[in-house]
Amino acid sequence: MALRELKVCLLGDTGVGKTSIVWRFVEDSFDPNINPTIGASFMTKTVQYQNELHKFLIWDTAGQERFRALAPMYYRGSAAAVIVYDITKEDSFQTLKNWVKELRQHGPPNIVVAIAGNKCDLSDAREVSEKDAKDYAESIHAIFVETSAKNAININEVFTEISKRIPVVDAAGGSSAKSIKLGRQVSESRKTCC
Amino acid sequence: MALQGSEEMGEPVEEPEDLDDQDAASISPAEEITMPPGPGGEEGSEQAPLLPWDRFSAWLHCICVVGFDLELGQAVEVSGVPKTLWSDMKSYICYLSFPDSNSGCLGDTQFCFRFRQGSNRKSSQGCFLETADRDAPPCLKREQGHYYGYVYFRQVRDKSLKRGYFQKSLVLISKLPYVTFFHCLLKIMAPEYFEKQEPCLEAACNDMDRWPAPHPGRILTLPIMGVVIKVRIPTCYDKPGTSQLVQSAQGDSLVSIVLPTIHEVDLFRCFHPVFFHIQMLWELVLLGEALVVMAPSPAESSDTVLALVSCISPLRYCSDFRPYFTIHDSEFKEYTTRTQAPPSVILGVTNPFFAKTLQHWPHIIRIGDMKQTGERPAQMKVKKLKNLKTLDSKPGVYTAYKPYLSKDEEIIKQLQKGVQQKRPSAAQNAILRRYFLELTQSFIIPLERYVASLMPLQKSICPWKSPPQLRPFNQQDFMKTLEKAGPQLTSRLKGDWIGLYRCFLKSPNFDGWFRSRRKEMTQKLEALHLEALCEEDLQQRIQKHTEVEAVDLVLKLKDKLTQAEREQLPLQPGTLTKLRSHIEALIRTLPEDLQGILHKPPTP
Repeated sequence: MALRELKVCLLGDTGVGKTSIVWRFVEDSFDPNINPTIGASFMTKTVQYQNELHKFLIWDTAGQERFRALAPMYYRGSAAAVIVYDITKEDSFQTLKNWVKELRQHGPPNIVVAIAGNKCDLSDAREVSEKDAKDYAESIHAIFVETSAKNAININEVFTEISKRIPVVDAAGGSSAKSIKLGRQVSESRKTCC
Repeated sequence: MALQGSEEMGEPVEEPEDLDDQDAASISPAEEITMPPGPGGEEGSEQAPLLPWDRFSAWLHCICVVGFDLELGQAVEVSGVPKTLWSDMKSYICYLSFPDSNSGCLGDTQFCFRFRQGSNRKSSQGCFLETADRDAPPCLKREQGHYYGYVYFRQVRDKSLKRGYFQKSLVLISKLPYVTFFHCLLKIMAPEYFEKQEPCLEAACNDMDRWPAPHPGRILTLPIMGVVIKVRIPTCYDKPGTSQLVQSAQGDSLVSIVLPTIHEVDLFRCFHPVFFHIQMLWELVLLGEALVVMAPSPAESSDTVLALVSCISPLRYCSDFRPYFTIHDSEFKEYTTRTQAPPSVILGVTNPFFAKTLQHWPHIIRIGDMKQTGERPAQMKVKKLKNLKTLDSKPGVYTAYKPYLSKDEEIIKQLQKGVQQKRPSAAQNAILRRYFLELTQSFIIPLERYVASLMPLQKSICPWKSPPQLRPFNQQDFMKTLEKAGPQLTSRLKGDWIGLYRCFLKSPNFDGWFRSRRKEMTQKLEALHLEALCEEDLQQRIQKHTEVEAVDLVLKLKDKLTQAEREQLPLQPGTLTKLRSHIEALIRTLPEDLQGILHKPPTP
């Protein structure tokens, strides 16, 4: 079985739960009191997708403003970016849109974008409607899911969807990125919680 | 956390010595920040959990930034480094991190330097590093008395600055001689740092503080600033000349980088300007002769010095070597004095001042600009020293040395053919490296064989006597073995091998090699002795003896246990467990009051 290393970065405002999402995905654990990330932290997880092994090299970036300028180091060469916002914070959704813009301008041309509306367990305090977010995601052909790292909702799904959209390596070694990307525009947000 | 300790910032710093009569003083590096190695001077105790910066410290002593600032002048801002660890080092680091003269260093330059560790400084490496070091090949062990500085220097025009130039160096200070690895690391870190400043260093330090320890033999995955570096530190059990890590075809350097070597420099590129003389250079290095490399830039001087030092691998070069030596080095006076014979060291210099200062040195290598590698090296003949007078002297080797071995024309022809056929540099390097390896091995095998014969026979090991001693090294006896089992068995080279050995036996390289062999063999003897002891029926034996003798035995065994653990003796698995149960069993045979005393841990 072929092993592919896929660089994935997590972007988004400070405190939206990027690190928690990675911990849930990699360690299946949750800690409500984690420290803010410095620079970025790195973790890996290998999953099987069809007849390939996808080893995700996950760069979980710091959301704090002072590390903002470092982001290109992490999305450079990335096969996918998970942009996270907090459904209880409208601001974090605006930040997300800025990240999308930056990726479009400076990111790798074929990067798979996944939008994760985290903390969906706190729907009482919701500020971002699911429909608005979903419409936005569709308009930019991004994967969309609402997640809860705390309750382990939709976390694995984010990465499964990414695996699905990763271009297949053809026999010649190149990737047929464009055709696949266009062919799979519709992002499903199955299993909505709340 | 990385930028804590700002109370130390901005302190005034003593002016470095005034050296303005020399060209070298035209740059006076100043300022800036340093990342912390963690709480200073901590003693690594065995079971202590890893503290923040312990992992970082396993790789690096510190990171510093050296810049030039007209307004700040001579001021170094230090952040987070305990003063004791830093104050005596910072002036060397400042000067060693900048090229001696401006010429030819526009753009980015990478080089390395090495400097002596202050005598009052305690080494703070934990036990887990000593274990790691044991498996490393001799030339890759952690440096005991020296630090390496790995430099990434950038000099570009910048009209916004008063001086008209941006000049800055990012410097990694480490005891590890992993030159290729650290240069690769700097190539990732430095350009980002120059653009994005402190948060970048903070992120990098944070990445490194989660790295696994530098254990030989494992494939290490080292994430740094968005890229994963994969390396394998060789072990002393590897077959020399093989690489266990190969770059896969579809590598994306923005995702991960596989380094086939952590320390090997490109020998062919480095020796290209003097390649007619490589075999003589090998002899000079082997014998620990005083050697100076005069090069146009620190990059070339440090590459060439490292190439020289590594050409006798797997032998460790045991004298001091300075890939980039300046007039500001603390050993400047010691090494350049004319009142004594030149010391057994290899220096790399770029300052034209040295052409005069080191005029009396017996062997001088002058390197021109290496960038013109397409050209044939013109200097076939060894030059007379008296011809070396001015700065403009042509590249070449200046010496009166007569090699002991006759010249190997074949390797020269092979390399020349490669140049004509435009063989890739990597292939030329591999040829040259294999050539040196075979030459060194041909030379060292007879010594290995003789030293192995100094080991006492297994049957002479008696558990109830102290371990037998190694027989002493006898030069005459060794020379006699050369008649039948000398290097002629493995090398086609003719010449005065005996003379070469005689001279080698007096050199620091022999001394260093023999010391480490003797240590290994003594430990092997200790291990065999301990294993033999553990096979005995100690209880039965002790029945016939007095209580005092039993106590004595228990104490001796406890000593053995401590020694075995401390020195990591090469024991069969299970030996220590056996030893512990022997000790327990013996203690149980004694009266209760004695048991209590003997069970107590030994007082430190």
